[in-house]
Amino acid sequence: MIMGPIRRAIDRFRGAGSAAITLPPMDGAIRPNQAIEVATLVLEIEAPDNLVFDGRNIFFSNGAAVLSFDPAATTPRPETIATFDHPVTCLAASAEGTVIAGLNDGAILFAAGPRKGQRLAEVGAKPSCPTALLIDGGTLIVCHGSRQNAPLNWKHDLMQLNASGSVWRIDLAGGAPTCLADGLAFPYGLAADSAREIAISESWRHRVVSARSSDTPLLDNLPGYPARLAPAVGGGYWLCVFAPRSRLVEFVLHERDFCADMFREVEPDYWIAPSLTSGRSFLEPLQGGAIKQLGILKPWAPSRSYGLLIRLDAKFLPVASYHSRADGVRHGLTSCVDLGDRVLVASKGGNAIIALDAAAQAGDAP
Amino acid sequence: MNPLLEMHGITKEYRGVPVVKNVDFTLLPGEVHALLGENGAGKSTLTKIMAGVVQPTAGVIQLDGKPATFATPAVALQSGIAMVFQETTLVPSMTVAQNLYLGEEKFLNRLRGIYISAQQFLQSLNFHVDPTATVASLGAAKKQMVEIARAVRHNARIIIFDEPTATLTPEEKHHFFALVQRLKGRGVSVVFISHALEEALDIADRITILRDGEHIVTDVIGAFDRDKIIRSMVGRSLSGELYRRREQAQVRPAGRRILSVQDLTMGSMVRNNSFSVYEGQITGLFGLVGSGRSETARIVAGAVKRDFFHGGEVRFEDRPVRYKVPAPAVKDGIVYVTEDRKLEGFFETMSIGDNMYAAMLARNLNAGGLFVNMAEMRRLADEWTQTLNIRATNKGVRAVELSGGNQQKLVIGKALLQKPKLIIFDEPTRGVDVGAIGEIHQLINRLADSGLAVVMISSYLPEIMNLSDRILVCRQGRVVEEFTPGQATEEKVMYAAVH
Repeated sequence: MIMGPIRRAIDRFRGAGSAAITLPPMDGAIRPNQAIEVATLVLEIEAPDNLVFDGRNIFFSNGAAVLSFDPAATTPRPETIATFDHPVTCLAASAEGTVIAGLNDGAILFAAGPRKGQRLAEVGAKPSCPTALLIDGGTLIVCHGSRQNAPLNWKHDLMQLNASGSVWRIDLAGGAPTCLADGLAFPYGLAADSAREIAISESWRHRVVSARSSDTPLLDNLPGYPARLAPAVGGGYWLCVFAPRSRLVEFVLHERDFCADMFREVEPDYWIAPSLTSGRSFLEPLQGGAIKQLGILKPWAPSRSYGLLIRLDAKFLPVASYHSRADGVRHGLTSCVDLGDRVLVASKGGNAIIALDAAAQAGDAP
Repeated sequence: MNPLLEMHGITKEYRGVPVVKNVDFTLLPGEVHALLGENGAGKSTLTKIMAGVVQPTAGVIQLDGKPATFATPAVALQSGIAMVFQETTLVPSMTVAQNLYLGEEKFLNRLRGIYISAQQFLQSLNFHVDPTATVASLGAAKKQMVEIARAVRHNARIIIFDEPTATLTPEEKHHFFALVQRLKGRGVSVVFISHALEEALDIADRITILRDGEHIVTDVIGAFDRDKIIRSMVGRSLSGELYRRREQAQVRPAGRRILSVQDLTMGSMVRNNSFSVYEGQITGLFGLVGSGRSETARIVAGAVKRDFFHGGEVRFEDRPVRYKVPAPAVKDGIVYVTEDRKLEGFFETMSIGDNMYAAMLARNLNAGGLFVNMAEMRRLADEWTQTLNIRATNKGVRAVELSGGNQQKLVIGKALLQKPKLIIFDEPTRGVDVGAIGEIHQLINRLADSGLAVVMISSYLPEIMNLSDRILVCRQGRVVEEFTPGQATEEKVMYAAVH
């Protein structure tokens, strides 16, 4: 009882243990390359998000609208299929043509299909925070990101160190939602394996856990904040990482007084926090770093944003990764869809939907 | 040209077992003569006979055409024969300068004068060693430099180098080779033992090859290539096995990340070092001496401690760990096979069985209760001698009497006895002959194939290129580059290590 606080105080003094601001390296299967940066551009559109596939069409969101396009078309022309009063924060599609959308105000409703416009029961404490959806048979699995913040206020949720997310199952035929997992730190992605076990990406704890037990993570200690999970055609999964972790942010997260001042005095876009895009305003914070090499001091400013897509095998072990590095623009990858011959990726920060073809996936770009 | 040194019919037996059999050897004035052979071939014994360290059982030695007997190393030194030993013979508690002038002290010594003189002498050899530093504080490479400097100081006519470059960086080796050329220019004859065949091909004028204590061939350098040398040394061709390049298609898939080193810091040796190690793969760690590879590995294994403040984090099996001593690391499944096997690897006066049993006790002190279980000890000795093909004249042989390759196998056996999940090999084939290198490489491959996470630290690039599934390059205390075998070339890896 007493040792805990003493241990934490010592750790804080030494910068060790729980107070360490160390980061896992990007090496092995997560070794940086430029595959995302050089991938084929499919569509240039502002802040695309929530890519899903119903077997015929690709659906994605753009602000408060849900759009779709035919992936086989050489020049995709997206059509708006629904527009809402609030920004769309998550989508799910089924082979029967049902598309369900979650909105920033917490509403979850049908965006296409026979029940278009119908609302589903809200989950968790209100206002609800739907961050990811998955249609699993006759039920809908919903990630409720946070009890304190709306989905688009994710930056607030991270900086407040919240861990109030949960995952729910809703029977599409009606009935009360059931909670599958609670106490999660911003659950942001869902995937079901062949045994219909639900895997959840937990952004603020940088890991993927099973809904059945979060004690033993399926994948832990990621170098960034994980977003959506998507099934891979050859088996396994794709994991989008929407922003990189940095020592500066890890340090700021420990400095609560500084955070309180920052919340009061600085616009959220300019917080020392991860971001979907960076380098677009001189007001953005920079983390100064330098290395002395051959007697010359070489400065740099690590980016707050990054583009990272990780290919996982069936056991959630990383086998390959695709990057847009600090000098790139295709950052903030939030969702992807595997079409077999290529993977479509939404770069929310880079305002683009891109395609990673088989050759790009097989390549080992420097 | 008349030979400077001639040895005819030299035989040396230990307890009736011949280690050198009827060997003839000649050394010409001002030549560099490479003496090659597997460990146990009799090279060291032959050179020790030249230097008066051991006496031959039979045979004749002639110096300048006159019969000579070297009863002690001091007698040999007086005759102009100096030897630089593989094992350092320096006094650890004394400074570099004091070691250089050991045995030449006057009644009253002026330390400052000794330091200035030593500094000038070391500079003339291009050895960057602080003469005021205590020898114990020096790394293996610098100790070797001091050892070489001491031999050169005695103005010997014949200098015998036993594995002089094993611990030197490429730059230091370059200086060493230049030094050998300078000595040769002064008319000094050099006998040079090395396991790095390229070195012998680079600097020697003639090569003599021994196998199993017998003389196989002596010829001028032009008559040899690498394959011929290896065939003469081991009796079969191993070039393809030892020096092939690993293809991308042969790379083992990565398993679970078992070790994540994050921003590890220890003084100026390890600085913000970060890397991961995966199960079922060999992670090669290449770097020059002083790049912080061994120090990082020793921190991971609990042999040394990281910085108290902001020392970074080591995560083993996704759990932060901080070992103050190696025992808990061993219990968790991390073992470190040391680069300095003679000092840290085994008890040299104990037998294979004793050493193995001691390793087992390190894992579980209560395994044998209060008493030593002799049957268990014998079983361990038999089992591991067979498993690792440790070649010894008898079961009770002391570790110190084993050849370098077999000693290394003993150290590896002690490590494997701990049933590790992660095994770190630090220079696993340093001072090991080509035959044993092949066996050790096969063993390392087998360990990775069985799913173990293997880290292999090596300064020998062909070894790194041959074995590694991933190549990490260290420079100035951190990993600065990662290559896949498909991408790696010797030039790229070396460039990353130096620039």
